Amino acid sequence: MSNSMLAYEPIAPAGKAPQQLRHTLDSLAGKVVGFVDNAKPNFNHLVDEIAELLIHKYGVAEVVKHRKRGQVPVGDAVMNELAAKCHAVIAGSGD
Amino acid sequence: MIVCSTAFTELGGIQARALGHPDLPIAVVAHPFGIRTRDEIRQMAVTCADDIARLICGAGSTTVPVTDRASSAARAKLIDVPADPGEFNRLFQERSWSDGLPLIPPTAARVAAMLQHARRAPDELVATIAPAFGMATVERIAINAVMAGCYPEYLPVLLAAAEAIAAPEFNLQGIQATTGPVAVWLILNGPVARQLGVNSGGNCLGPGAWPNATLGRAIRLIQQNIGGALAGGMDRATQGQPGKYTFCCAENEDANSWEPLHVERGFARDSSTVTVAGAAGTTNMNTHAKDAVDLLRVVADTMTFPAGSDYTFGGEPWLVLAPEHAHILKREGLSKADVKRRLWEQARLAARRLSAKDFARVQAGRRAELGEIGLDTLLPISVKPDDINFIVAGGPGTHSVYVPGMGHVRSVTRQVA
Repeated sequence: MSNSMLAYEPIAPAGKAPQQLRHTLDSLAGKVVGFVDNAKPNFNHLVDEIAELLIHKYGVAEVVKHRKRGQVPVGDAVMNELAAKCHAVIAGSGD
Repeated sequence: MIVCSTAFTELGGIQARALGHPDLPIAVVAHPFGIRTRDEIRQMAVTCADDIARLICGAGSTTVPVTDRASSAARAKLIDVPADPGEFNRLFQERSWSDGLPLIPPTAARVAAMLQHARRAPDELVATIAPAFGMATVERIAINAVMAGCYPEYLPVLLAAAEAIAAPEFNLQGIQATTGPVAVWLILNGPVARQLGVNSGGNCLGPGAWPNATLGRAIRLIQQNIGGALAGGMDRATQGQPGKYTFCCAENEDANSWEPLHVERGFARDSSTVTVAGAAGTTNMNTHAKDAVDLLRVVADTMTFPAGSDYTFGGEPWLVLAPEHAHILKREGLSKADVKRRLWEQARLAARRLSAKDFARVQAGRRAELGEIGLDTLLPISVKPDDINFIVAGGPGTHSVYVPGMGHVRSVTRQVA
């Protein structure tokens, strides 16, 4: 009697193959930075503080903030708007 | 890029890879973060801003070779596994393919037998399962169904359930990656429930019925093995709940003198459906109330608790009404809509009962729906009465069940082919 048998792996490949990321920025000066606030406690305050620092210390020209309505993905319209307007977007993840 | 606290950095990295961005920069702040004071946040922001600047302007371009998207038609892989049941389970446990209970080995013969009950090709893509967006083909669903102990004739239910959980309004992404305890609850209606022997009576949410146990377990294995939500990995539930092992029942249509759930949702009475709902837990409501006013008051009181997600976002709470309780309401001429309306009106939470932080979240999250929210505002549990759902299920006894939801999850019903 064999000590082994064949069985299927139950896992699946992810639907998203690795993508080529955009180039990083040379600097933040003059850039537009977006924030996606995941509405977790205190993240809005962190966003406000970081936004001020990026503007005054790193010369960011403008900050765009979008606060999610809880644990739902950001819609395509908002994503496209952020992508069109911002050089970089920072999203809150987890708690 | 993303910002997350130390306890969620691994989740952030896993999900970034799952979404095709393995080099997504992550700035980290100390956990716990939500309880920090404003002064602490101000200090943390200084370091975080510097990290963000460094990461965004960092080490030149990031080039990850673009590879062809993995073919959804790729067949599952057969591997050598121990024939000994104990060793087989140890292997699958080590590979994080197990839910912690003994599995049935998904051999070619067992999977082939399961696939006989699909009127679709094995490599047909049924759905992509968040948060890793794994490709749930007919075959892969069958594999996990075998592991859960499902009989082959159960497969059509799971194919429909997999489609349902992948519907955008169900928000599986939120369910899978939350710190909350949400389980996917399968509710069966129509002939298939009787044909498969899905329990809708006594202990319908408890042990004993093979289809209840294995169908719910299979959908959990699909979420984990195909969707990638491993406990402690992308599944960040603080405690979880027993319903995450299995949560499945049928509606007791014989004891329900209203229209059953699937008819309420527009399906023909003689069609078979599976509904997926987000269940954050169960609360027993043992009441000997004998009239509708008294019964609904007690039920509404049970629903009204301040630490529930449904009030934070306007959710979709559920009830499992005992046949005896349903009879009381129907006897007094209440329709399902009447019951929902009365509960919606009575299960309002005074905003002052929330914690200060939760009150602030509700103010921000429900301002568009409710306008300015003050401490005296009475918050409805859902956006509208029809978002309160219930089925009739269970055996004799004066016990109904309150099943709180998770806020942004909306149940989905699909026909079983």
